[in-house]
Amino acid sequence: MSVVAGRASRGTIVGAVCVREWREALGNKLLVGMTLLPPIVILAAGVFAVAAAAIYPPNEKDLRAIYAAAPAVAGLDPTEAVQGIIAQYFLILFMLIPTVVPLTIAIYSVIGEKAARTLEPLLASPVGVGELLLAKSIASTIPAVLVTWIAYLIYLASVIVLGSPAAVHAVTAPRWVLAVVLMVPLLTALSVNLGILISTRVNDVRVAQQIGGLVVVPVVAIGIAQVTGRVVLDDGSFIRTTVFLVVIDAVVFVAARLAFQRENILTRWR
Amino acid sequence: MRVVLRTDALTKRFGPLTAVDGLDIEVREGEVFGFLGPNGAGKTTTLRLLCALIAPTSGSAEVAGMRLGRDDERIRAAVGILTEHPGMYERLSAADNLRFFASLYGLDRPTAEAQVTRFLGLMGLAEQRDRPVATFSRGMKQKMAIARAALHEPRILFLDEPTTGLDPDAARTVRDLITSLARDGRTVFMCTHNLDEADRLCDRIAFFRHRVIRIDEPDRLRAELYGRTVEIRVTPAPLPAHLERVRAVAGVREAWMENGAILVRTDDPLRTDPVLVRALVDAGADVAFVSERRASLEDVYLRIVHEEETTS
Repeated sequence: MSVVAGRASRGTIVGAVCVREWREALGNKLLVGMTLLPPIVILAAGVFAVAAAAIYPPNEKDLRAIYAAAPAVAGLDPTEAVQGIIAQYFLILFMLIPTVVPLTIAIYSVIGEKAARTLEPLLASPVGVGELLLAKSIASTIPAVLVTWIAYLIYLASVIVLGSPAAVHAVTAPRWVLAVVLMVPLLTALSVNLGILISTRVNDVRVAQQIGGLVVVPVVAIGIAQVTGRVVLDDGSFIRTTVFLVVIDAVVFVAARLAFQRENILTRWR
Repeated sequence: MRVVLRTDALTKRFGPLTAVDGLDIEVREGEVFGFLGPNGAGKTTTLRLLCALIAPTSGSAEVAGMRLGRDDERIRAAVGILTEHPGMYERLSAADNLRFFASLYGLDRPTAEAQVTRFLGLMGLAEQRDRPVATFSRGMKQKMAIARAALHEPRILFLDEPTTGLDPDAARTVRDLITSLARDGRTVFMCTHNLDEADRLCDRIAFFRHRVIRIDEPDRLRAELYGRTVEIRVTPAPLPAHLERVRAVAGVREAWMENGAILVRTDDPLRTDPVLVRALVDAGADVAFVSERRASLEDVYLRIVHEEETTS
């Protein structure tokens, strides 16, 4: 039998690598667990907090603190005000999902291949390293974005059912919807490429996660700053953050591409 | 036969270390070419260079009619490589591992499926096609890796230690595959420490330690280094007088007694052997049998490597 082998199209290669990555990931129970746990915990906590705020209204002291921290809710009914603030606070926590989940997937994707020594046969095929990096990025980004969006939609539905009009108004505010639509993929891409970049240098998943975990610090810092009233997330700050993420995404992708060289992978990665 | 692989002063340095130093070789179509050398000699680096996995520091090479450095992706599509470690996707089944690589080499679905079935069958893994590779033994994984390297029917197949970790039965399967590929006109470039296997399979052999020390057919190397040794048994036992008569025969390079036999080193046994037998019979010896004793490739290897060590 005569076979005509050559080079598959870029789309076929990226698609094949993505599907293979997902099939391998789905077979890794630990990875599936680590992927699903953060959104489940954040979602459950968010829904519980909004529901609890409806049942237990704040006392006078708490209310004063809330009005001081969030002047926008001053004058609202106390229960509504608390629900609005809690609902919005958890939206920031949802921004943690695209930093934590894809980082784990990306780290397993590269370090897993290093440990199994599957990269050399892969690199010996007609696959370009750029295609491989792109496929790994896509394979880590898509599940993380989908998980975040699904968690957000469930949260949205729960708030609409359980929450006050202020809470519903907070979670359906156009800037937050846009943040989820735009910033979630950007944060995910940042986390993925950072994960790949770190994985080129270390061989231990835990070490890579510890280093990569630093990416959550700015998100947590913004959340704390907002809760304490030091930062007000207005339209301007969302636009600035989005532009900053686009720039940093490009920088980290270029850095990952530079680290992801065929010869480096084969001769220097240990 | 057509040359399918040619290198010209191919060199690879890693900082101060020269792994491959001015490699000049030509490998022909349909040839099984053995690449032998001690650990750390630069064999794997040479394979990686020739498969366009790493770039040379200097020199050039033409692989399957394509130029290294210019046509790297096409070279990788035209060759197959068995790497030092099998490196299979353990959670995927045997068939899915091969299907994945078939898609990277651009095989259409029916061809890919036919090739997967064919190579799993050739490697004796047809029954295990739907089992995850994680459940396979080391030998089965090695056979899978060979199937993966040959799946797209490359013009040149590079094999790094193909029978390492295989039981004798599996090793034979691999050797049969190599022989059949060569019969079909495919070129096999093989690094191995299994000298017996190299002796049986290879048309030519290169002894390599950062550079080619010697390159030739195994029999010619043996003849060049050791001549051809003939063992003569006489009954009841050879006498010193017999040895003297043997030494006097034209064409005899060296003769000695060992374990009750006369051993004779000669360049042309076909011409010398009848004269030897006549001389011994004339000297009153009863010749029981005459046979040729071949130096093993191990002897050749050790001598060449040792000589190279001494000279360098």
